[in-house]
Amino acid sequence: MTGDRREAGGAEAREAERATGAVRFVYDPALADYELSPEHPFRPERLELTRTLLEACGALPEDAYAAVETLPARELARVHATRYIDAVKRASRGEGLEEAYAFGLGTGDNPVFAGMHEAVLRVCAATVTAVELVASGRALRAANFGGGLHHAQRAKASGFCVYNDLALGIHRAVDEHDMRVAYVDLDVHHGDGVQWLFYDSPNVMTVSLHESGRYLFPGTGHTYETGRGPGRGHAVNMPLEPFTEDASFLEAFDIVVPRALQAFQPDLIVLQAGADMHRNDPLADLSLSLAAMGAAYRRVADLSERFSGGRLVATGGGGYDPFRTAPRAWALAWAALTGAELPEAVPEAWRQRWAEASPVTLPERMVDDPSAWEPVPRRDTISSHNRVVAERLMEVMETIWSGAAPGTYDSDGEERT
Amino acid sequence: MLVQDIMTRKVVAIGPDMPIRDVNALMEQRNIRHFPIVESAGKGSADAGARGSAQGEADHLVGIVSDRDLRLVGADHPLAPRGVYATDPVRKVMAAPVLTAHPLDPIEETAKVLREHKIGAMPVMDGPRLVGIVTGIDMLDALVQMSGVYEAATRLEVEVANRPGELASVLAAIAARNHNVSSVMTSRSDAESVTFVLRVNTVDGRGLANHLRKSGFVVLWPVEKPTES
Repeated sequence: MTGDRREAGGAEAREAERATGAVRFVYDPALADYELSPEHPFRPERLELTRTLLEACGALPEDAYAAVETLPARELARVHATRYIDAVKRASRGEGLEEAYAFGLGTGDNPVFAGMHEAVLRVCAATVTAVELVASGRALRAANFGGGLHHAQRAKASGFCVYNDLALGIHRAVDEHDMRVAYVDLDVHHGDGVQWLFYDSPNVMTVSLHESGRYLFPGTGHTYETGRGPGRGHAVNMPLEPFTEDASFLEAFDIVVPRALQAFQPDLIVLQAGADMHRNDPLADLSLSLAAMGAAYRRVADLSERFSGGRLVATGGGGYDPFRTAPRAWALAWAALTGAELPEAVPEAWRQRWAEASPVTLPERMVDDPSAWEPVPRRDTISSHNRVVAERLMEVMETIWSGAAPGTYDSDGEERT
Repeated sequence: MLVQDIMTRKVVAIGPDMPIRDVNALMEQRNIRHFPIVESAGKGSADAGARGSAQGEADHLVGIVSDRDLRLVGADHPLAPRGVYATDPVRKVMAAPVLTAHPLDPIEETAKVLREHKIGAMPVMDGPRLVGIVTGIDMLDALVQMSGVYEAATRLEVEVANRPGELASVLAAIAARNHNVSSVMTSRSDAESVTFVLRVNTVDGRGLANHLRKSGFVVLWPVEKPTES
């Protein structure tokens, strides 16, 4: 249906891609201004921890950095209601705090802080910059580990997220570059904000793997949330059991994600690489190790080679074990994007640098050894449950993708090269 | 929540003399399963069609018909109503007298009547006027809305003693952490205890559950992690 357009767009993008295989690390020290409160579990220091870890590993050369570009106000209004943006701006200045509750602001999860609007806008601008670099062909891949605010809704702050940087980035790619975007959300929480914002879209597929909403916020992400109208078949949800662990997670990933991307044929993949599916995360119980998380990021990078000409944008997201887990997770994500080899040992210089600030002992290895962990009871039951859910999900999605149910997509499954 | 908040106001009523096959066709066409049957004082029988909210003249409600009443009419089946044909007037198969609801009835009362009488719908009468219809599906919609399930939230089940102030103390503990509660429902109660289902707008449901447990509350969901006990 959009064959001509996509051929042309593809050729142009491929041309650009030959020009640069660059991978950019979008960065501004002020991205850390998105600090909801000093006691809040969402820690902005994670970005600096990640950046310094990558530098210590020799994996982040000077020329990989990209500055944050300005985000026009009209683009913010594409995703968020004007009255909501106004409420955020007012709350940001310490005004209208009573009215702010109606927008999910001023709660335990989303406390109001001075300069909130500017701080979150910068996070959004950084993700849009990452998308722009890739979509315009100035880079093949890009990352903003300060981003990943996937819960923010059109007119409501939710789950630590005020504005939805991912939705803004996806809009840039779809609206300005005529791209089809596949959004892959590996955060342990369902990527509800992004899903609902593009639930009707024929140009965006959202794929989310998460701990089941039976047990975890935000409660959504059921397999039967499959998209609506022209977006039917473009929402894919894989809820996982608590204590899923590495092998079952990767098995579910392999059943669901490659086939979904093949069915959709994206021009760009946006990866939300939340780091909260780890065993050490205090807010969730998926109980993965960095081995599986790194493997999942590499799989997404490989899938971008197969389906989106290598084009991939990655963001951070959740991750509430800020010293031990998030920096290593995002270092692995960056390695997956760039192909850089990371050392097996966490550089001693980095451990020393952060030892005093960290309330926990910093890890010695870049990747954990889950075999050293106490085994989870009921492992086989959990794995088999996940497998059944993944297979049933794919039966449903295949029915939709095959055209038996209304929807628009290329169903020939041919890989574009 | 009252019946008037959830009822369908554009009720389609028919006259008792409409042939059964036409009633069937109208059900199909309008995608409706229940028709109140009214007799207008002047004309003897009402015309089929959407009436909106009736004005002025009284509606004489004489019966109600559902798709179940019609499905076996004319079929070669032992349970088919005898001596009834598709060309017969609907009055031959309609149910009468009719159980009705009032716009100001609380929906839980109406739900109870629907369930106890095993019926799917009730016409809503405001005095002599037919002003709407309420069905089991409306009840499901109401349940969904009351549960707050459209809000991003964490689900908590808390068991408290069945005495004054217990729920208030749970809510106070949640408020102390500045979390908003999007819904509260009772899932079970007996003489000793009550179980409430709360939907709380927080990512850290487990943290909140543990905090409540430490404060002495019995939290049934989310279940306690083995490693936490």
